[in-house]
Amino acid sequence: MAAAASSSSTESPKTTTERRGIPGAQFVEDVETYLSQTALDVNSTLAFLQERLQQYKLVEMKLLAQQRGLQAKIPDIEKCLDVVVTLQAEKGTGEAFIADFEVSEGIYSRARIEDNDSVCLWLGANVMLEYSCEEATSLLKKNSENAKASLEVLIADLQFLRDQVTITQVTIARVYNWDVHQRRIRQTATSSATKDS
Amino acid sequence: MIPKGTGASETDVTWEDQQNINKFGRLNNRFHELEDEIKFVKETIDNLEDASNELILTDEDVVRFQIGEVFAHVPKEEVETRIEEMKEVSSKNLEKFEEEKESVVAQMGELKKVLYGKFKDSINLEED
Repeated sequence: MAAAASSSSTESPKTTTERRGIPGAQFVEDVETYLSQTALDVNSTLAFLQERLQQYKLVEMKLLAQQRGLQAKIPDIEKCLDVVVTLQAEKGTGEAFIADFEVSEGIYSRARIEDNDSVCLWLGANVMLEYSCEEATSLLKKNSENAKASLEVLIADLQFLRDQVTITQVTIARVYNWDVHQRRIRQTATSSATKDS
Repeated sequence: MIPKGTGASETDVTWEDQQNINKFGRLNNRFHELEDEIKFVKETIDNLEDASNELILTDEDVVRFQIGEVFAHVPKEEVETRIEEMKEVSSKNLEKFEEEKESVVAQMGELKKVLYGKFKDSINLEED
């Protein structure tokens, strides 16, 4: 999925404005033009770019935390779905469904679940609702799909963010190198001037 | 981080170069993610193997099989079938991940050639 998601095309804009609140990093064609455009000196430019990098890092931490949350939530929903589907399957047999469940750490108890048509689902915030098996299955499936879709959007956001981080890092390196190059030129100019005089 | 110019040369970076660098970064991330996924799937397959071996050794007819958070009492044959299915799914996933990993490594190799060709020492694309 990620390997094919590269958005490179010859017509893509060189300044992607932003994506869901994340500012896009401006790609610099030529360092000298860029510096004259912003009318800042090298140190201010480097400081600005470093600050941008820090902001990106902050957003990246936030997105990674959200991603971890979703990645934990999805298996939970799948587990609930498994149980409901199993209960529905056992309904037809007419036999009671026996299961061992955890009462406390290391202590399990046996439950005998007779044929019935409804399950209770924990919705969070101390709320539990009773649903018929079919409704429960469709609700859980919908939640699972929503979570997976959110995760995909989040992953795309992270990829965009990482691209902006890379562009900013490359720009910082280029501005710095340009500055070093300029200093070298100035040094050779002044040393040859002092030699001549 | 992977791509960083270290030399003081004046090589120009075009938009295409930047896109290549970005793509390399993305591929590298995906490569690490795939390595983790592959490790996880291999562990799952090992666990399923151990489980089915234990199953052969046991002489009980009813096995406690974990579904969700509870252990349901399931007849032995059904457990065998379920474990086989889970092993199938995991093997397919493993194959898929390994294939994707190979493709990612190949693409990264190509990009390395292009980028080192243009930037030579000014860029570092190796793992730190």
